[in-house]
Amino acid sequence: MPGADKEADLTERIEAFLADLKRGGCGTGPIRGSGETARETTALLRKVTAQARWSSAGDLMEIIRKEGRRMTAAQPSETTVGNMVLRVLKIIREEYARSRGSSEETDQQESLHKLQHFVHLKANVIEAINELLTELDGTTDNIAMQALEHIHSNEVIMTVGRSRTVEAFLKDAARKRKFHVIVAECAPFCQGHEMATNLSKASIETTVIADAAIFAVMSRVNKVIIGTQTVLANGGLRAVNGTHTVALAARHHSTPLIVCAPMFKLSPQFPNEEDTFHKFVSPHEVLPFTEGEILSKVNVHCPVFDYVPPELITLFISNIGGNAPSYIYRLMSELYHPEDHDL
Amino acid sequence: MSSRGGKQKKGNVTSEQEEEEQPLQAVLVADSFNRRFFPISKDQPRALLPLGNVAMIDYTLEFLTSTGVQETFVFCCWMSNKIKDHLLKSKWCRPTSPNVVHIITSDLYRSLGDVLRDVDAKNLVRNDFILVYGDVVSNIDVSQALQEHRHRRKVDKNISVMTMVFKESSPGHKSRCEEDDVIVAMDSKSKRVLHYQKTQGLKKLQFPMNIFQHGSDEFEIRHDLLDCHISICSPQVAELFTDNFDYQTRNDFVRGILVNEEILGNQIHLYVTQDGYGARVSNLQMYDSVSSDMVRRWVYPLTPEANFTDQQGQGCTHSRHNVYRGAEVSLGHGSQMEENVLIGRDTSIGANCHISNSVIGNNCTIGDNVVLDRAHMWNNVHISSNVEIHQSVVCDGAVVKEAVHLNKQCVLAYNVVIGPNLSLPDGTVVSMHHPEEEEEDDDDEFLSDDQEVGHSKDKTRQKAFNPAEVGPEGKGYIWKASMNDTEDEELAQCLWGLVLNPDPESDSESEASEESQDRSRSVSPEIDDVNAFQLEVLGTLQRGLEENIVCDNLVLEINSLKYAYNITLKEVMQILTRVVLEYPFQQQGTQLTTLQYTGSLLPLLKTWSPVFKNYIKRAQDHLDCLSAVEELFLEQDTHQTAMVKVLMKMYQLEILEEEAILKWFSTGATNDKSRQLRKNQGLQKFIQWLKEAEDESSEEGE
Repeated sequence: MPGADKEADLTERIEAFLADLKRGGCGTGPIRGSGETARETTALLRKVTAQARWSSAGDLMEIIRKEGRRMTAAQPSETTVGNMVLRVLKIIREEYARSRGSSEETDQQESLHKLQHFVHLKANVIEAINELLTELDGTTDNIAMQALEHIHSNEVIMTVGRSRTVEAFLKDAARKRKFHVIVAECAPFCQGHEMATNLSKASIETTVIADAAIFAVMSRVNKVIIGTQTVLANGGLRAVNGTHTVALAARHHSTPLIVCAPMFKLSPQFPNEEDTFHKFVSPHEVLPFTEGEILSKVNVHCPVFDYVPPELITLFISNIGGNAPSYIYRLMSELYHPEDHDL
Repeated sequence: MSSRGGKQKKGNVTSEQEEEEQPLQAVLVADSFNRRFFPISKDQPRALLPLGNVAMIDYTLEFLTSTGVQETFVFCCWMSNKIKDHLLKSKWCRPTSPNVVHIITSDLYRSLGDVLRDVDAKNLVRNDFILVYGDVVSNIDVSQALQEHRHRRKVDKNISVMTMVFKESSPGHKSRCEEDDVIVAMDSKSKRVLHYQKTQGLKKLQFPMNIFQHGSDEFEIRHDLLDCHISICSPQVAELFTDNFDYQTRNDFVRGILVNEEILGNQIHLYVTQDGYGARVSNLQMYDSVSSDMVRRWVYPLTPEANFTDQQGQGCTHSRHNVYRGAEVSLGHGSQMEENVLIGRDTSIGANCHISNSVIGNNCTIGDNVVLDRAHMWNNVHISSNVEIHQSVVCDGAVVKEAVHLNKQCVLAYNVVIGPNLSLPDGTVVSMHHPEEEEEDDDDEFLSDDQEVGHSKDKTRQKAFNPAEVGPEGKGYIWKASMNDTEDEELAQCLWGLVLNPDPESDSESEASEESQDRSRSVSPEIDDVNAFQLEVLGTLQRGLEENIVCDNLVLEINSLKYAYNITLKEVMQILTRVVLEYPFQQQGTQLTTLQYTGSLLPLLKTWSPVFKNYIKRAQDHLDCLSAVEELFLEQDTHQTAMVKVLMKMYQLEILEEEAILKWFSTGATNDKSRQLRKNQGLQKFIQWLKEAEDESSEEGE
């Protein structure tokens, strides 16, 4: 039976993805960029839509929710996965509403589960997911395109760690303008070194500084441009360790802090002491395992993320333009359906 | 799966096409072949013991799967049914698993060697494979090592047979187990192992000079390596185990390969990693440290909250100070979970408890005012109020009653009841198995488990519990490792193994005596080896006589014993001579008359002469042999007259040459006694006769 074959193949793909997520990021953060994770998740959900057995929008949403729960549980710190699940759920709702010819959300609620066959629903949903994929592919370019509006000649720009988006942003600006970038190395993983190498290859004047020097250097800086792992629902950030230091220093010197974050990093999660908020990896980078005796006498922790409160952020640059932190809630309600916030 | 497969292939783009197509295989030995975990492993095989509430074998399988292994052979022996059940229920046997697990059971496996011989007999591996034990916890990415291994195999045509994975960690590290401490001499450029030695108890280390004389000009002697017990083997390894039936462990193998390196041309290489984590849970000491490393997230991403076994309800949350809580955990008022605590699901903890550095399993109940420090509690454990537990293991179903105090390194095995109002001294092991039953079924340790359990139940009914040991309401017996003979002692040393830095406060009597025992044994391991070797040789010869074994085979056996005990050729010869000459005394008692002695010895010499000839070749060998003869007869001075007859016979059998005997006679005398011996009339005559014979023969020659 080819159907059974397809389903087995699908579950295998999902299991492999889950296993990859679980093993993802041995110490140095995710191996893949979050953009790639977002694309993979969406592609997988498209496959689920195409191959799973469902007869109504309600069924489909239930299936997507179920898989989504497993995917987010596999690596809770990787919020893009959950975000993409929410986006797909929203797409299904919209397509369903469109196929009924009404946009009234209220009367869609009741009949979602009673829904009979809509021949084109499947095709439409897949079409819409494809559009989402195209959007994802273009995010970095869209953000980089805005660089010239923000970076001016002879400015000194500070960034922290390595972000693919920020890298593209700076490189785009460097095509027309000359400016100086200071990269905080971002211990203990020191992704800043890699960032600096890449920037200097694009012939941007680059300086690497230790994290401890951030405050001292900040007085010379015109603008801080950083990336982030997640944008939280209140406009705060969950970003790589050291970002909070940079943000506080920037606030002290009244230096504008710009965050480059594509829309798929926007998560309905709020900052709280919830356990999945933090991610601790092997303390190897902080105190090497080879140290010997001392290890039995101390506790070593190696957290990966910092929380940056929204009041320290000046501007978000996403693929659809610039926004203030206070506007995030609005974007949130446009992107996701409020009913879906918890899977 | 596709992505992982891709990663693996990327590694060796240049390697042969066929190699790429073959899936990576692994051999997982789910048996320790020792009794280090007795009495705990009497009820549950070691691979299934929980570490951080997950069976150890699951860590090993996860490690293999994440390095891209696609086919794993699990070999079980002791309690194989339980392991099989566990694996069939786990995610590894789901059809979607990227790693196909085959379970192979047999009651006949007695060592790693048996397993690998079976691998060879069944032709299971087609390509390089990873060899691990079922109790290895690791997150090392071995693909780099694998790539190096394959590269070496390609460059110099199958010379390298094995790559051992080591982790760098300086001496004194708590995850280094003294029993496994090795010192390795290696070629820094090619990473070839030149010398490999366990350092346990050795005060002096010796390196043969010849290892430094060839090869490259850079050597490293390293003592900062932690043996991860992960090895990448080529299929030849299985064949070599078949060819050398005396190889029992990987140690034998490594030593054998290194000794025979020039003859067979096989080499062993080393891969040293700094990242990742890899350790084998070889005793409770290691269990304790690996468990604490896991809770402290050294093995990330194999952390408790990752729920990598994908079991329902097994997930837990991780919060500050490495506190992990499963579902439905309840914590009483005023209780504190200080740091590095893992609590399984449905466990309830009473008020005012202090918990630190501990792992608590599922479904446990803990009373009020309990102090737990470095405690390892498995599932369904009941602990009443006012209990204190320090650095101890409490197995499934155990009950600890009111006001019990468990000091360091206690073990409560399955279903034991302790207390109330009792304090167990350091190192107490309590089990439902009576220690004496152990001695009785010493030989059939590999019986199937149901038989074993039935057996033990009968016993437990017969013998009453001692309330002084386990408390008024207690159930269980103090377990004493049986110290019958030297061999057993070696294995049963102590459940906790040797402590690297003995705690200064652990100076209770039992501990102290244990340590001193260890010391005395470890100071002179060579003597022990020599003695053991002598016994073995005696046994071999005896058997050879009884079963009429051909001398060639005897030589083979003695040779393999030589490697097993690391004995030099000179010693072999001396011991062999000694054993043969003492043989009549051994068989018929020491009160033999000289006549009887020679009567029984001379035929023996004749039968075994090929054995002697095999070892005595060079002129020096003759002298060594003669000095051994001399030494023996110096001790047995009542039988000195027999010496001439022995020498005569040996001369006739062409074991010894006349020149050598003459040389020995003229120069060998070093002290009064031996001078005395040489004045023996019979001997004088014999020498005289020899000289004449020589003259004659030389005259004839002219």
